[in-house]
Amino acid sequence: MVLPLQEVLLPDRIADLTGLGQFGALGEFVAAFLAAFVIANLMLAMSGVAGPWAKRKITAAFTDRIAVNRIGPFGLLIIPAAAVQLLAKELIIPEGVDRPAYDLAPLVIASSAMLGFAVIPMGSGIHLADPETGLVVVFAIASIASLGLATAGYASNNKYSMLGGLRAVAQNVAYEIPLIVTAASVVIFAGTLQMSEIVAVQAEPLFSVAGVSIPSWYAFVNPFAFVLFMAANLAEVGRNPFDVPEAPTEIVAGYQTEYSSVYFVLIYLGEFLHIFLGGAIVTTLFLGGPAGPVLPGIVWFIIKIWAIFLFTQWARSALPRVRIDQLIEIGWKGMLVLSFANLVLTAIIVGVFIA
Amino acid sequence: MNTWIAVGALALVGVLIPLGMMAVSALLRPTVPEQGKRSIYESGEIPTGTTRIRFNIQYYMVALLFLVFDIETVFIFPWTVIYSDAVAQVGLLHALGPMLVFIAVLVAALIWAWRNGAVQWIKSPESSKRSRLQ
Repeated sequence: MVLPLQEVLLPDRIADLTGLGQFGALGEFVAAFLAAFVIANLMLAMSGVAGPWAKRKITAAFTDRIAVNRIGPFGLLIIPAAAVQLLAKELIIPEGVDRPAYDLAPLVIASSAMLGFAVIPMGSGIHLADPETGLVVVFAIASIASLGLATAGYASNNKYSMLGGLRAVAQNVAYEIPLIVTAASVVIFAGTLQMSEIVAVQAEPLFSVAGVSIPSWYAFVNPFAFVLFMAANLAEVGRNPFDVPEAPTEIVAGYQTEYSSVYFVLIYLGEFLHIFLGGAIVTTLFLGGPAGPVLPGIVWFIIKIWAIFLFTQWARSALPRVRIDQLIEIGWKGMLVLSFANLVLTAIIVGVFIA
Repeated sequence: MNTWIAVGALALVGVLIPLGMMAVSALLRPTVPEQGKRSIYESGEIPTGTTRIRFNIQYYMVALLFLVFDIETVFIFPWTVIYSDAVAQVGLLHALGPMLVFIAVLVAALIWAWRNGAVQWIKSPESSKRSRLQ
């Protein structure tokens, strides 16, 4: 297996470009900080477009409506308008909330979702950090969010929030195991947890059709794992058919019922960042990361994560919500068993045919 | 450059941006404290009782089961990383066999939990009675 040269990470490039590298550890930190700022704002921009605009437009297209179209071309200027409007709302702190916890929860949800992008290779050299344990790190960070959801639910002093928070935890623990075990079946092929190498291995040609070489993306190599991972990912980010924790027709808005103003913005933002983080993990593991013809890597990366965002919105418009008992049953009796079957089968196939 | 400095930098940025948004919002938003609007939302009714209610025991059962399987995934990851090399070095039987036994033990545990009703959603006596009557 010939690996391409280790790509230069974004902090190093910024250090070289600005000459910050010669200032020792402090310069290193400033360069890393600048790189982190670029990546955080890139993902914030994605969520900013997705939340107030794309989500409405996509849902409207599915349900044969028009949605936002008054301000700016295609209603795009609704994004700054919504941002100002939401930030300028009065913050109503309900009676009897558990104060430090109530304030911390939105922060935890938004920050943890943003932190997950640290190890994602986005192509065109936009890659913040590449630890050897990248895949484990990203799963570890992604699951901090359920802590924030549980805190929000418990601290709000509201029965709907309480139920929403409990449901969020039950759902996340039920679907995290299938998610991680399915990811482990990809690691069997790749033989590494480092994100850049998982992407590099997928660049090798699988077979060629009429002169066009098909890369060995794990979505093609192991489509069963891909389908499982997409389903578990939908549950992990809490979208239909697995949006039980929010379930607007049952428990108002779940854990976010009592949040208003900037706190609501942060929880909402965290959710969208989480959808994109899920999309980024799927892209890196199964869709060859930022690889693609003609266009630069970052463009392909954005196209891929938006395709997965579109998929979640499609599911949101097309699928009914499962009940909480069905959710637990699908998770523990269906997905878990299937994901272990997938892991063992993958191990046997790799052991017999490839190694 | 140290990888974890970069991760730490994003953690810092990830906290600073929400804090910045909170600060901007604090400058923009009005504060009109009133009695009525601060009551918790209970579909427009006057809230009754406390929120520290008794909830379904099932959430506890599921969390316990999760602990078992989460630790299991920690053991599976190192094995998946070295698996291909291990097959080449010590053969399929020795690379795959122990992990199959390990997974089989946990699957046996899952079957036990399944038959024991740990992953069966518990219904309240009232709703069970209702579903029997229907």
